[in-house]
Amino acid sequence: MISTTAPVQPPATAKRRPVSWRRLAWVTLRQRRGAVIGISVVLGVFAVYLLIMGIIQNNAYAAIAACHPAAATKCHELAQSFGKYWGGGAGPVLAGGGAQTVSSLLFALPVLLGAFAGAPLLAREFESGTFRFAWTQGAGRTRWAVSTLVLPAVLLTAVTGAFTALFYWYFRPFLAIGQVSEMLPLAFALLGLAFAAWTLFAFAFAAFSGTLFRRTVPAMAVTIVVYIVLAIATALAIRPHYLTPVTEQGWNGGPSAGWVLSSWVKAPNGQVIGSGDIGNVLVHAPASVANSPDPNAFNNWLIQHGYTLWQSVQPASRFWQFQLIEADWLLVVSVSLLAGAVWLVRRRGA
Amino acid sequence: MNVIESTGLGKRYRRKWALRDCTLAIPGGHIVALVGPNGAGKTTLLTMAVGLTRPTLGSVTVLGGEPAGSPAALDRIAFVAQDAPLYRNLPVADMLHLARNLNMRWDQRRAQDRLEQLEIPLSQKVGELSGGQKAQLALTIALARRPALLVLDEPLASLDPVAREDFMASVVEAARHDAISVVLSSHVLAELERVASYLIVLTRGQVQVAGTVSELLAAHGAGLEEIALRHLRGLSSLSRTDGAA
Repeated sequence: MISTTAPVQPPATAKRRPVSWRRLAWVTLRQRRGAVIGISVVLGVFAVYLLIMGIIQNNAYAAIAACHPAAATKCHELAQSFGKYWGGGAGPVLAGGGAQTVSSLLFALPVLLGAFAGAPLLAREFESGTFRFAWTQGAGRTRWAVSTLVLPAVLLTAVTGAFTALFYWYFRPFLAIGQVSEMLPLAFALLGLAFAAWTLFAFAFAAFSGTLFRRTVPAMAVTIVVYIVLAIATALAIRPHYLTPVTEQGWNGGPSAGWVLSSWVKAPNGQVIGSGDIGNVLVHAPASVANSPDPNAFNNWLIQHGYTLWQSVQPASRFWQFQLIEADWLLVVSVSLLAGAVWLVRRRGA
Repeated sequence: MNVIESTGLGKRYRRKWALRDCTLAIPGGHIVALVGPNGAGKTTLLTMAVGLTRPTLGSVTVLGGEPAGSPAALDRIAFVAQDAPLYRNLPVADMLHLARNLNMRWDQRRAQDRLEQLEIPLSQKVGELSGGQKAQLALTIALARRPALLVLDEPLASLDPVAREDFMASVVEAARHDAISVVLSSHVLAELERVASYLIVLTRGQVQVAGTVSELLAAHGAGLEEIALRHLRGLSSLSRTDGAA
């Protein structure tokens, strides 16, 4: 309908068709072209590195796995030389940095990507005043805000999810040889659903605070601080309690066991001695045991003298259960934050 | 039918009332000049009429009873905020495409013809346009939406004299051509008096006078400038004239 006849038309009684999501999606993508390119480049660079090192590492691991008999010296040497991929010294690109370094770098990626993509979405509109344009178009501010927030959220989650799959393939040999457990904080947040879920959380938090503060840089700063605090709190205090830990007899630690939360000793009289107080027992052991280079010497001495060794573990078999729990609550928080941002847009005036 | 109608409209920012007890009925078919000094509440009134800001008190409806900010109202009101905010990083062509995708009604030919006339290249970035070109682009986008009501907040404030002249000519031409109602605000009446057919004077958050220019001239026997000036000075012994449509 085009108004050409009367100065003002009577209000249309017919139900108005809203602007389609497809057209709103075009608007969102056109406006975020820069961010899409930036994030693609960053992830692309990492992906190329992971691809190159992944091929090298998977081949090296295949050689170890195929080596017979496993006890042979050459097999032993192969396995030992594999360690350089973890500790460093083998990377053609990140010279000196092994998988350990790469993993720690990737730890920062969710919050950087999320803050970079999320904070400017609404904040930039406020800073430049363009929200006065965007919110007075026929589509209306609610639809505009939903498109502006949800489409980048979905894209970012999908891309980081795909990136995790590549990282897992790159990382698999270290899990297979028992270098590290996928339950440990270092690996857990980079694998499975967690990496994408944490990126989504950072994005949602940045978008929400950008809407709240109406400023890009403060929104990014607050996002980074809150993210770091929450990520550390989750790894140290929240994640260990997702399920009741398993109490096991024996200190069969090692990465294959999963995530050892604590260990203790029970004396013959039933007294429990925490790992911090174990030194009090050590003084009773003969010097040959106390000073032995074999780490198991003292443990064996304890067992011989009627002590029992205990540990509290989140076993590796719980990996996917834990991933689902973590992804679930992060998803709930993220969706709430995005809904909160839409609510702020609806509520806030100019 | 009234293009903007408000009853007891008030807006408070923290402790300060930006607009108080504003009761207006602006009839359609006019070029309305909303005049008042800086801080008089012009922007507050207009942003409430276009649905950007919510009133603290009272209510405002547009285009014959549609609530301000409702989908029906947004669809048929084109608003150009002060300084004509547009996406500076986009080329003009993409800015048009973006506006097209944000609206149900859009006249692409009209938009392109206008820009061609104005010699604004489609490939130019919005941020590289001159102030006058940017204002004209914002007006072009507003008109391409085929609105029933065009609302312009201080459209001339940042333009040089030549650009002001051209811009006002564009607005008048569009108002005649498309038969739309226009509401413009300014702190300088001189810019609007030649084109306005309806005048509202606003000071310190309150409407001082509102009426068609011909009625005001007949009632007061003075020039428009003088009428406005008297009200702006608060020296008015004149009775307040409400817009009788």
